[in-house]
Amino acid sequence: MLPMVSFQDVSLSYHSLGGETRAVSHLSFTVAEGEFVSIVGPSGCGKSTILSMLAGLFPPSAGSVRVNGTIGYMLQKDHLLEWRTIRSNIFLGLEIQGKATKENKSFAEELLKKYGLWEFRDHFPAQLSGGMRQRAALIRTLVLSPDLLLLDEPFSALDYQTRLSVADEIGTIIRQEGKTAILVSHDISEAISLSDRVIVLSGRPARLKKIHTIELSVEERTPMKAREAPEFREYFNQIWKELDVHVA
Amino acid sequence: MWREIKQPAMSQAQARFLKELRLRRWAVRVTQWVFLVGFLLLWEMAANREWIDPFLCSQPTEIWRTAVEMAQNGMLWAHIGTTLWETAAGFLLGTVLGVMVAVLLWWNSFVSEVAEPYLVVLNAVPKTALAPIIIVWLGNNQTSVIAVALLTSVVVTIMTVLNGFLQTEEEKIKLIRVFGGTKWQIFQKVVFPANIPCMMNALKINVGLSFVGVIVGEFLVAQKGLGFLIIYGSQVFKLSWVLMSVVILSVLAAILYKAIACLEKFVLRKRQ
Repeated sequence: MLPMVSFQDVSLSYHSLGGETRAVSHLSFTVAEGEFVSIVGPSGCGKSTILSMLAGLFPPSAGSVRVNGTIGYMLQKDHLLEWRTIRSNIFLGLEIQGKATKENKSFAEELLKKYGLWEFRDHFPAQLSGGMRQRAALIRTLVLSPDLLLLDEPFSALDYQTRLSVADEIGTIIRQEGKTAILVSHDISEAISLSDRVIVLSGRPARLKKIHTIELSVEERTPMKAREAPEFREYFNQIWKELDVHVA
Repeated sequence: MWREIKQPAMSQAQARFLKELRLRRWAVRVTQWVFLVGFLLLWEMAANREWIDPFLCSQPTEIWRTAVEMAQNGMLWAHIGTTLWETAAGFLLGTVLGVMVAVLLWWNSFVSEVAEPYLVVLNAVPKTALAPIIIVWLGNNQTSVIAVALLTSVVVTIMTVLNGFLQTEEEKIKLIRVFGGTKWQIFQKVVFPANIPCMMNALKINVGLSFVGVIVGEFLVAQKGLGFLIIYGSQVFKLSWVLMSVVILSVLAAILYKAIACLEKFVLRKRQ
């Protein structure tokens, strides 16, 4: 089977007045359909850049990036447009792609109902909690039925409590919808709890350091339950060491 | 022994605080009125007793009499109407044109980089200094007055609105781009709506500027309008005309400003 995503020997450099910065160096990996893969690395190592290349915002300087399907992108903050209602916000992608048909709109409304935001459809984003807003942002992405979800630290703007439950919620939704997902995060536990595999990157320029296949002995693989698995701590310690975080 | 501890409806301290707050507000209001009425009375008295020259300084009753008289023969309304129309035309055109140019400059960053120093200089030039040129070009007529009013507000509008456009959250633009949106969609879905508050602000500033432009324009060319009344009144030493016009102008400016503030509130009522 063809992988959903393949990175082959990808390098990327930024150009600025100050010179050339190498953000990604000779990176190769693949992601299979239905898989949830996390990318962790020290902050500023070029993780988000990888997603931007996947989304086609800019091409790699060398190597090849292949994506076999349509993409949905979730940004760090929800970026709901504050002048639109929740319903109108989740139609945004449909409007932009000229797909705002009756059918697609009612699918979007179904998702609102399914994920508990139907009562808030006519509310404005400012009237919703951080967790609800992030959920709305996910629905806005799911409305287009993307084959692949790119999650760029989508929980980092939330406080710790909310973050745990939103990660749980969103992880569950993504599994339920059977989507392939790539999560970029600097939070090791978040990455382990959500993923089938965790890709560890080095500091800038980002190189592949290690890929972990996460196998947890829990009955029900939800992000919350995953944290209780006996293997969880082991994975955590290993990745922690690989990240080589120096707290001076 | 457990007692239920209830919070009283309002503590005495809170009640006292509210009372003091109300009292103070009331005191401010009263003092404002006392000041105004006192000033008018003193002016009137000073003119009656010839402490000041009523010919040069006029007096409130005289101004009032003039206003009533001019209102009755309809002249006053004609002057007010002219000035209002010119001002409204000037600031609406100035705002619309300014926003249009800002859109153009946002669209093409090369053009905006080229235009930048010229805009800065144009912004620094007192626009009223250009009024005589406008009059030479457009003639001795109302069009010139409106053009001067437009000129006073258009450059500052371009600069404020363009600045707003350029400061639109990068991430929101990225959101549209990852949906595969075009530049026009970025503008239409994010940049423009995000900057409506900024444009409303420009509108507010432009009312005041446009009045300046209109009055200067009327000083130079008009046969009608409050600016004309001021300049003509001063030439024939009808100080009551001049002062009446100034008072009416300040009231008009306040009303227009308030009207736009209300419009702003209405347009932005759903935002937080």
